[in-house]
Amino acid sequence: MIAKSLQTGLRNGLIFGIIILFLVLIGFDITGSSLIGKVIGNSPPASSTKQLPYASNLVILISLLGIWNGAMAAKRIKGKSPSQSIAAGFFAGIFTGLITAVFALWIGTALKPGVDLRVYLIALSSDAIKFFLFQQSPSQAALIHLGLLAAGGLLGGLIIWLNRLRKSSVAFTRVNESFSNTATRWNLNVGILRNRYIRYTLYLLGFVVLIILPRIWGSYWNFVVGTVGIYIVLGLGLNIIVGYAGQLVLGYVAFFAVGAYSVALLNSTKPLNLHWGFWIALLIGIALAILAGFLVGLPTLRLRGDYLAIVTLGFGEIIRILLKSDLMTDITGGPRGVQDIAGPTIFGYKFSSDIDFFYLILGAVILAIFIASRLQNSRVGRTWLAIREDETVAKATGVNAFSSKLLALAIGAALAGLAGVIFAARNQYTGPDDHDLMVSVNVLCLVIVGGMGSIPGVILGAFVLKGLPEVLRDLENYRLLFFGMLLIIMMIIRPEGLWPATRQRLELRGGRQEPQDVLPEKLEEKGLEA
Amino acid sequence: MKTNELSQKYRKPLSSARIFRLVLGFVLIGLLTWRLIDVIIIQAEYGANTWLRLIIVGLIIGGVYSLIAIGYTLVYGILFMINFAHGEVMMIGAFGGYFVFEALKYIPTPTAQDPKLTFINAQPVISIILAFLVGMTIASLTGFFLEKLAYRPLRKAPRLVPLISAIGASIFLQNAALLLFSPQPRDYTNPTSLARGTGLKIPVGSSSILVTYTGIFTFVLSILFMIGLYLLVKRTRLGKAMRAVALDKKTAALMGINVDDIISKTFIISGALAGAAGVMWGIHNGIVNFFIGFIPGIKAFTAAVLGGIGSIPGAMVGGLFLGLVESVGPAALGIDFQLKDVIAFSILVLVLIFRPSGILGEAQSEEKL
Repeated sequence: MIAKSLQTGLRNGLIFGIIILFLVLIGFDITGSSLIGKVIGNSPPASSTKQLPYASNLVILISLLGIWNGAMAAKRIKGKSPSQSIAAGFFAGIFTGLITAVFALWIGTALKPGVDLRVYLIALSSDAIKFFLFQQSPSQAALIHLGLLAAGGLLGGLIIWLNRLRKSSVAFTRVNESFSNTATRWNLNVGILRNRYIRYTLYLLGFVVLIILPRIWGSYWNFVVGTVGIYIVLGLGLNIIVGYAGQLVLGYVAFFAVGAYSVALLNSTKPLNLHWGFWIALLIGIALAILAGFLVGLPTLRLRGDYLAIVTLGFGEIIRILLKSDLMTDITGGPRGVQDIAGPTIFGYKFSSDIDFFYLILGAVILAIFIASRLQNSRVGRTWLAIREDETVAKATGVNAFSSKLLALAIGAALAGLAGVIFAARNQYTGPDDHDLMVSVNVLCLVIVGGMGSIPGVILGAFVLKGLPEVLRDLENYRLLFFGMLLIIMMIIRPEGLWPATRQRLELRGGRQEPQDVLPEKLEEKGLEA
Repeated sequence: MKTNELSQKYRKPLSSARIFRLVLGFVLIGLLTWRLIDVIIIQAEYGANTWLRLIIVGLIIGGVYSLIAIGYTLVYGILFMINFAHGEVMMIGAFGGYFVFEALKYIPTPTAQDPKLTFINAQPVISIILAFLVGMTIASLTGFFLEKLAYRPLRKAPRLVPLISAIGASIFLQNAALLLFSPQPRDYTNPTSLARGTGLKIPVGSSSILVTYTGIFTFVLSILFMIGLYLLVKRTRLGKAMRAVALDKKTAALMGINVDDIISKTFIISGALAGAAGVMWGIHNGIVNFFIGFIPGIKAFTAAVLGGIGSIPGAMVGGLFLGLVESVGPAALGIDFQLKDVIAFSILVLVLIFRPSGILGEAQSEEKL
């Protein structure tokens, strides 16, 4: 009995010990603490610049991690015996505490005037180490860490046990019932939304809010939401390729670059000295992006899955390197990019502020949503669906898979070109570094995190992945790290995305959301009709 | 065998896409030959010594690509997934070796002649072996945990899912290294007997070319590793099991092979090779930072595809070939050396368009492509 808890405790304790050490080594203890300090209002006065957060925040952070650790360990113990799960939590806490304490002792003794650990591990400045030691001596700090983590582990185990206790009692079933009641009520609400006029009214309301908001927000938020909007357009475009047609394209940024460079070259003084105006450049940019889509698609779309991904990735990199190289400096400005791109004008009115561009982006987003939603339920959309599900079967039923895929790529490329044109015009600058692989990866991630094939999902994904980091400025450095982790976790826990399209959800969840007995009946009905 | 004969008998009908590909192929080959003849024979800007130097440089870098490419091929052969994070595994291996060298630099082993002698120069062979051991161990551990945490739960998922997870792992590892070790590049300290810039002078015609010791070391060692791996796969029980799992997981399991175990071991082996490649990269190029794994990773994948993915000799040949093309190509085509990456990626694109099965790969079934 006790051996089982000890084993689980050791295992989880080791994992959490490594996680805590890793967090300290990347300096997350400071960032996390200052975030906690901000949330509970326990941070040093703003007047003192560049100061570490209070050590009490670190106490909270470590305790929270400890509780989580204990809870995770206790969860691994099946059964209702209180002693076992609490013991597992406690052992996990003790073990993590030991690891952290040893680390604190070691790093505390390594902290001598002559030694600079930052040469090797960038986050370990002497201030940071002192902070990790709670501004105490190493042995004291080790004891505090051990105590906090052990107590946290105990508490975590206790919480899990209490939770189990509650679940096993009758109360839980009632809670469950009321939960399912709310679920049906929620469905009812969706039913109301089906009414056309109510829906239109809601659309109108949303639109009015979107028109008014930028005037209240101020320029920073206009800029941030504008960026999110550009990524929504990009995401909807990639969604057509990846979500609808099921073709994984990793070089999507190439089309974005084509759009951006079209407006940059056709509407600026250097290097070509052309001033064709934004709107013409917009059309040309989109046309060129479509052309690029055809050029990339013609030879490659025969490939499947990951091969296509790598080929398009290669294309994207080729375009970026070419833009950066000396070879093209005369035409594209080389590594320095193109500056002073002129913005659009309507009837003599010049777009210059972030509000103007917000409206422009809003228009583009609405256009993209319109295109995407109309396509989704069209004949072409169903063709794409068939190809995504099974290309061989789709071909056998008479679908011209190649030209359908090409069409998807071209439409996706057009939207990327549109986004690129607006992006370059808004920044008044574009350069090779705006078009590196990370843009493709970002867009792909927001499509996947939001939900492949789902328009609201893409919008939500764009807000989560591009909007949240702007809100959580403190986490800027850790953004990509969490991003990578999020991708893995999403794929394991919720591969269908945050706001999945119904079909994808059913496919990846095996129809668990739908009551099992309804589905066959429906199918039978359809079969009879056919 | 039978399907092969069949497919030869019934050739595919000429579709418009196929005609387009054929025409494109002939035009490209024509342009390429014309350009090569023009630059090499007619313009003749470079002498024999330059070409030889470029070839040697290409072989050295190609050896490293081969080692990484083997990792891609092993994993692809078994799981049919591109281990996108493989380049990052190599980067981590390079850092492992770097820290060993840095630590050994500070261990004093004073002798009568030289009181300032440190371990790294007193025992260069042991130092290098230690660096390789640590680098390979860390890299294989990374590979092992990568598989366990990011890929194993997705074994039965649609094929896009593990690929995205691999991209996530790649981003995660890269940024973890960035946050741990800072973005600034670090100098690899070699033992002085293996210092960069020293080497053998080989006379070619009137001038001579320098073949660095690090280069010779890297090339020879990579060939040794490749031979070792080949023997491992062909001669040992583990290799037999790996081949069986690659052929058919279900049947292999029925024959009493622990498939999960073999997959884990495959990741460990490919991680070890990538780690060795990383340490070599550090010793030869002298600079490591968080980003060094990315481009070699993609190029090694190119090499694996070039040789025929899933085939181990293919990965070796593909790596060496890619290294050669990348080094000789810009000079032979008379273009800027900045564009060597463009050549590598163009080759990837062209190979996938015209012969997705690669140089040494057998024609794969639709299912595998």
